[in-house]
Amino acid sequence: MDTIVYAPAMRTFLLCLLTFGFPSWAHAEIAQLEMRPRIYASAEYLAGQRDKPAVLLLHGFLQTREFPTVATLARGLHDAGYAVLSPTLSLGIPNRRQSLACEAVHRHGMEDDLDEVARWIDWLKSRGHRSIVLVGHSFGSLQLLAYLNAKPDKSVQGFIGASLIETQIGSTSRPALIAQLEKPELSKNGALITQNLSLCKKYTSTPHGLLSYVRWDQARTLAAAKISTVKIQLIMGDADNMIEQNWIRSLQHIQIPLVVIPGANHFMDGENEFDLLEHTLVFLNHMDKAPTR
Amino acid sequence: MKWYAPVSIKQIAFGFLGTLLAMMILIAGFAAYQTHNVTLGLSQANHDAARAELAAAVERLLRRTESQADKLSHWDETRQQLVLPEYYVYWRDQRVYESGILPSRFTRTVLYTASGKLLASSPREHRFPTNLPAEVVSHEPHSWLAKDDGAIAMYQSFPVYSDEGRQVLLGVGLLRLDFLPELLRQVDFRFVNKDSVGLALQANESIPVSKLLSQLSFSARSDPDQSRFQSILSRTMLALFVLLTAAALVGYFIYNRLLERPLGWLSQEIDAMQHEHTSHPLARARPMRITELENIRRSLYNYQLQLRDLHGSLENQNREFHSQARQDALTGSHNRRAYEEDWTRFRKELKANPQGAAYLLFDCDRFKTINDTYGHAKGDRVLTIVANALTMALRANDRLYRLGGDEFATFLSNTTPTQAKQIAQRCQSLIDAAHFDDLEIREPIGVSIGIAFCSTENFEQADELPKQADIAMYTAKQPGRTRIALFGEDTERASQTLVASRETSALFQALATPGMIEMHYQPIFSLPGRKVDYYEALARIRHRGDLLMPDAFLPVISSRRLETEFDMAVLHQIDADISSQQLPPGIGISINISAQSISRPEVISHLMELSRHNARHPLMLEITETSLITQMNEVSTYLELLHTANFRIAMDDFGTGYSPLRYLVDLPVDVVKFDISLVNKLAEDNRAGQVVADFARMMGEVGYSLVAEGVESEVVLQKVESLGIAHAQGFLLGRPVSLATLAATLAEQNVALTVS
Repeated sequence: MDTIVYAPAMRTFLLCLLTFGFPSWAHAEIAQLEMRPRIYASAEYLAGQRDKPAVLLLHGFLQTREFPTVATLARGLHDAGYAVLSPTLSLGIPNRRQSLACEAVHRHGMEDDLDEVARWIDWLKSRGHRSIVLVGHSFGSLQLLAYLNAKPDKSVQGFIGASLIETQIGSTSRPALIAQLEKPELSKNGALITQNLSLCKKYTSTPHGLLSYVRWDQARTLAAAKISTVKIQLIMGDADNMIEQNWIRSLQHIQIPLVVIPGANHFMDGENEFDLLEHTLVFLNHMDKAPTR
Repeated sequence: MKWYAPVSIKQIAFGFLGTLLAMMILIAGFAAYQTHNVTLGLSQANHDAARAELAAAVERLLRRTESQADKLSHWDETRQQLVLPEYYVYWRDQRVYESGILPSRFTRTVLYTASGKLLASSPREHRFPTNLPAEVVSHEPHSWLAKDDGAIAMYQSFPVYSDEGRQVLLGVGLLRLDFLPELLRQVDFRFVNKDSVGLALQANESIPVSKLLSQLSFSARSDPDQSRFQSILSRTMLALFVLLTAAALVGYFIYNRLLERPLGWLSQEIDAMQHEHTSHPLARARPMRITELENIRRSLYNYQLQLRDLHGSLENQNREFHSQARQDALTGSHNRRAYEEDWTRFRKELKANPQGAAYLLFDCDRFKTINDTYGHAKGDRVLTIVANALTMALRANDRLYRLGGDEFATFLSNTTPTQAKQIAQRCQSLIDAAHFDDLEIREPIGVSIGIAFCSTENFEQADELPKQADIAMYTAKQPGRTRIALFGEDTERASQTLVASRETSALFQALATPGMIEMHYQPIFSLPGRKVDYYEALARIRHRGDLLMPDAFLPVISSRRLETEFDMAVLHQIDADISSQQLPPGIGISINISAQSISRPEVISHLMELSRHNARHPLMLEITETSLITQMNEVSTYLELLHTANFRIAMDDFGTGYSPLRYLVDLPVDVVKFDISLVNKLAEDNRAGQVVADFARMMGEVGYSLVAEGVESEVVLQKVESLGIAHAQGFLLGRPVSLATLAATLAEQNVALTVS
């Protein structure tokens, strides 16, 4: 296990970085893509140094890029000279700007999310970025990991998964749920399924969309992380009460680079934001050797 | 005439109560007027507040609806339905409410496509228009009210854009809510009467929200505070009225008990006092609670007591005064006033009840002499003893009256002349038995009693009884009588009655009328030559042509104590006679003066004035020896004075009075005139005649000039001459004549008188 130990001097540097920034590239841009007909999705693009890899930073489950953990991390990375693209997944909603309620009609699925990630990676590539590092938080880490497991673009050089979590379904039997959701008549009826899913107690979704998420259990997640072809770094908090108790241990068992921040919760807020940024920057520094464009 | 009439304290109380009532009514009316104004103001304010409250509620509903529309317009899921409307019904019927954007299902929302077509029609949306009007499908929200299906609905449209820049219109949403229920539900109106809120719209009529307020009808809820205020005010006014009424009644009761009734008592008490009903002072029995009234009551009570005491004292004093006024202070018998009253009453009773009645008149014998001799103190004691004896002698119910001096009287009812005489005799017996020895009076003291009687048949003559008794009295006093005389038994005395009455009248008239007293002059002869030496002036009273002699009026003078007045009148007349110069010069005049007058200054003064004639007519004063001279020193002094003024002093009627020797010793006497009783003794050849002769001789030898009075016979004259008496006077030698006769006689005889 590669455990990176950071020094206090580094933290001081990061604080100064956040405080003063780099005005030369400090500008933001809202990018918009029509993911599906009449369904537009937007992303905030923070330009960075050209010799540094671009970072695609993905928010957590049903959140937006405005989520504090993601937004703070984006500003930190951008301040460190990295170009950061923070998309907000449309989740089937045109120009979604708010976190989507659990009880809303969820017509999206993992495939839709991966398509949008791919579209944004293409967008980064269209902006000249040759080296892209995917950084996700919570469920966003799972979605990026799923992307890496499916059809990753070659420009993607690395992956940082913060507070990586599998698709939780509560006490429901996952096989039985999958079996039920796989029934074709269920989809034909256009019924909506309400299910305990991750942070939602009453996640309302189409069977297809729900099924796409439910399939991502711990085993598939671990497997996806293990077989990933890009450099990977997981950052977890040992005070994360959203994850299963053995999840970190499971991750450690598959020997994936993992950083466990003492005292950090699932959202790594407070002073743990610096820890997250620090570990992210450490990982990105290693990536700097590769050309980005 | 006063411009006001006195009012009673009760009228004042009623007036005060009436005024109070009027003021209460005025205040109540004013309060009612003010309350009405306040009520109107409050109602207007309440209406304004209701209007403002309703406007605020409408505004709040509009804002809320706009807010809801805005939220829906910017809600991600709204946009989702316009793009992926497969689960639009779920969104419309469930999500909008579960998300909390719409609070209740009274507010519904539907979505329209950008072309204005309803996204999905269903029976539940039958109230929503299937197609939106073109003006609604715009980039701006619209709101309006319309009456559909019998209900008034408010519609709020909101555009739904795909992007933040509002460039791509995805569709239009429309909110519908039942206006009135929603309006009334959202606010707990305080001022607006919920049931009154209405909006008059015709079917399918719609109005913009901007005209909503102007077409809303409502009424203000009756303000509970105002109602409470009016209720409190009404209760307060009623309570105040009741309280004031009760206070007025209690006040009147207290006023009546504490002021009016006590004042009434005091007024009654004062009225009772005014009518002399002061036997039971009410003010004492009912103490008063008002300090001032209590003070008045006490003062009145004390005044009543003082008044009663004063009344009693006055009654006692009146009784005492009445008694004193009718009682003789010296003798204790009834006085002249009591006599007058009782005599008047007696006569009335006698006329009303005719019966035999007697009138007794008492007169002390020689009392004047006793009084003059022994002094007034002893004289008073004599009168007291006499009065006590007479009172004891009278019957139990008979009263003794002191008429004046030593004169007493009584009148007896239901009696007879015999009984009257018996009573008179009993009076004399008791007086005779009285002890005068303690007074060292040696002379016998008795009373003469005149009795007049009228029988039942001639009771009308009762008025004449005093006069008759007076006549009887003089009869009784005559020498040789038994000192009791009954009028009518002697007709001779009846005629005297007339004379006595006439002489008394004549005397008083003569004293008041100068000239009625006429002086007669009797010559006094010197012996032994028997020539006229001087004349004695003797008084007569000329009354209605008759000439009253001294025997007729001198008793009246003595009884009436008129000696001084009579002497003054005589001196005036003598002065007038001498001043008339009818008498030739050198003729002496002898003047009679009573002993009482010689001590009176006015008489002395007149004599001194008369002394101016001494040069032409030598004057002599004759002092009656029978008069009791009590003030010897003063008389002696006056006589010495007169003696200095060339008056000669003669002792008249020597031998008839008291203490003659003392007079001769103490007084400056020049001449002694032997009384006729002594002169007559000279004619008797016995021891008495010898004593008188020797006495006359002795008097002559010691220097006294003697005059023999009453010489009426030659024998007596010769005896007088033999004794060497210097002068003689009497009818034998010459009778008294008037001045005119004397002057004429002297003129005829041309006789020159020799002045001795």
